[in-house]
Amino acid sequence: MVRTIEDMSLVGHTCAVPVSDEQLWEVTAQWLAGGLAADERVVYFEDETAGAVLGRMADDGVPVRRALDEGRMVIVPTAQTRAAAARPVARYEEMFLDQIDRASAQGFTGLRMSGECGSELLRAGGVDRVVEYEQVVDRVLRSHPSARLLCRYDLPRFDEDAVSQMRELHETELIGEAVYDDNLLRITRSDPSTARLAGEVDHSNRPQIRKLLETVLDQALRSHWASSDITLDLSSLRFLDVAGAVSLVHAAEEFPSTHRLVLTGVRPRVVRVLDRCGAPFAAQLVVVPRTGQHRREGGRHHSPS
Amino acid sequence: MRVENTRSGRWVRLQHAAAFHRSRTDLVDQVLPMVLDGLRGGTPVALSVDPATESAVQRELDGTAGLILLSRPDGPDGESGQTLAARRARELRELVSATGRPLIVINEHTSRLDGVDGTFWTELDAAFNIALAELPVTMTCFYPELPLHREILDGARRNHPLLAVRGEMAHNPHHLAPREVLAEQPAPAPVLLGPPELRLPFGAWQLHDVRSAVEDALLSANCPRERAEDVVLAVNEVATNAVEHGDARAELLIWVTDDGVVCEIHDAGSLRDPLPGLQAPHSSNPRGRGVWIARQLCDSLHVWTDDRGTHVRMRASP
Repeated sequence: MVRTIEDMSLVGHTCAVPVSDEQLWEVTAQWLAGGLAADERVVYFEDETAGAVLGRMADDGVPVRRALDEGRMVIVPTAQTRAAAARPVARYEEMFLDQIDRASAQGFTGLRMSGECGSELLRAGGVDRVVEYEQVVDRVLRSHPSARLLCRYDLPRFDEDAVSQMRELHETELIGEAVYDDNLLRITRSDPSTARLAGEVDHSNRPQIRKLLETVLDQALRSHWASSDITLDLSSLRFLDVAGAVSLVHAAEEFPSTHRLVLTGVRPRVVRVLDRCGAPFAAQLVVVPRTGQHRREGGRHHSPS
Repeated sequence: MRVENTRSGRWVRLQHAAAFHRSRTDLVDQVLPMVLDGLRGGTPVALSVDPATESAVQRELDGTAGLILLSRPDGPDGESGQTLAARRARELRELVSATGRPLIVINEHTSRLDGVDGTFWTELDAAFNIALAELPVTMTCFYPELPLHREILDGARRNHPLLAVRGEMAHNPHHLAPREVLAEQPAPAPVLLGPPELRLPFGAWQLHDVRSAVEDALLSANCPRERAEDVVLAVNEVATNAVEHGDARAELLIWVTDDGVVCEIHDAGSLRDPLPGLQAPHSSNPRGRGVWIARQLCDSLHVWTDDRGTHVRMRASP
């Protein structure tokens, strides 16, 4: 029943139960990006959340601007999303069939959708209305295997009972494993020497950085295959406080001489904090700013490895 | 950055002297030889003096180039000695690294900044002792022999390790360390502002709310994004200090004015360091770096304490 996100091509009507906003943006962005990669028409029903989703897709290196310009991706504006959720349930079938027709008429391989419909429906008619909607949608999607929909049920908005009801209604659930998620900062790992930080680092969660680096470094040192670069992807890190920056700089300084700490996709705001905390003088720290091309090596005693 | 004195081979640090004058003529008579000695020996000389003193000195120098004019204290928080000391430290650090030489600095008291009791000068000189400690600067502060407030003379006698008497530097037996001076005469509270736009109590787990509130205020005051991000960092650091220990509660106050945003952070704690964030941080000691960076990013940052706790006012123009 439960599949990992790598199997997305097999998934039709699926759900996710994010524990935090960061996870919500992460899973939505991956879902929509998967559609773009598969040459599907991508539709996102927004409710003042398009900025966060498109931002996360841009962080992930997805060429969103181009996809929007070329009409491969469509954002349904907030007012329309709310109006759609207010319609009688019987109209949903019509709406989805219309979307499916449009996608095939334009020559896409399929249709991939996600958005804020669930929470709008909840507002409009409670859990019962969401259930009705899901049943209609499921019927439509079963008869149109090239159409896919991700429904998101986040716990603060949907209580435990509602969430388990929703899980029943979906064949699959997208699971995003996190090493840490406190709704301000989310840490995920993709391979033994890489981790990704999304959100904000401050006094409340700063110790997690040190803990993470210790674990990743330890695993890298024990593995013969792991890279000698420990990489932290900071492209979705929107705030780093001074002590957090100092702890990254100190951690790199304490790395064994064989290893480097590489920070990638670093936003200008975070680059400035790192610069003010001695990052340019840490020999084993490499800061790669978000714009990409310009690679800045720390330290004068740096030797390429 | 350090500058080595080639003769002794020792690191040169701040030499902070007080001098007293009877009149402007007397002041110019004392300043001139200091300036000439410095310039002849190839040492750059920087002045922060009254325009009348400056033109008198320039006249005597016969237009000789080489005098550096420092910014005169002003601005809405000109009365914050620690803010001025932090700004002066930045200015002198840049000068020293540009010239690669030690520096002679001459200050002149101005009654414009006396405030109600002259304690501004006591705070300023104590803050100079902390903020400039590592700089290769010989700084002489001129005070009138008969100022309006007795505190000005008392403060000058306590704060300066050296006395410049008719061209000779002498040890000052009344000198006290900044911490002792400030224990007797703490940094004064700034003038009261009206009711704030926003009052937000917070704890260690609500720093995100503090940042959002400050960012919203800055953007509403038409602050450019990059500047807003830097000021948010500054306020975050001060707010972090306020709640760092235990589950301390603190409060953020925000005013949006025509010339930018004013934020205050109040907490019930006391300070170990009476004037935090004035010394450039050492890499070995991560503490104090946050407030030091905050001082670099704000137009003014004034810390004061009273029986209710510790208070910080930060001012940021767009």
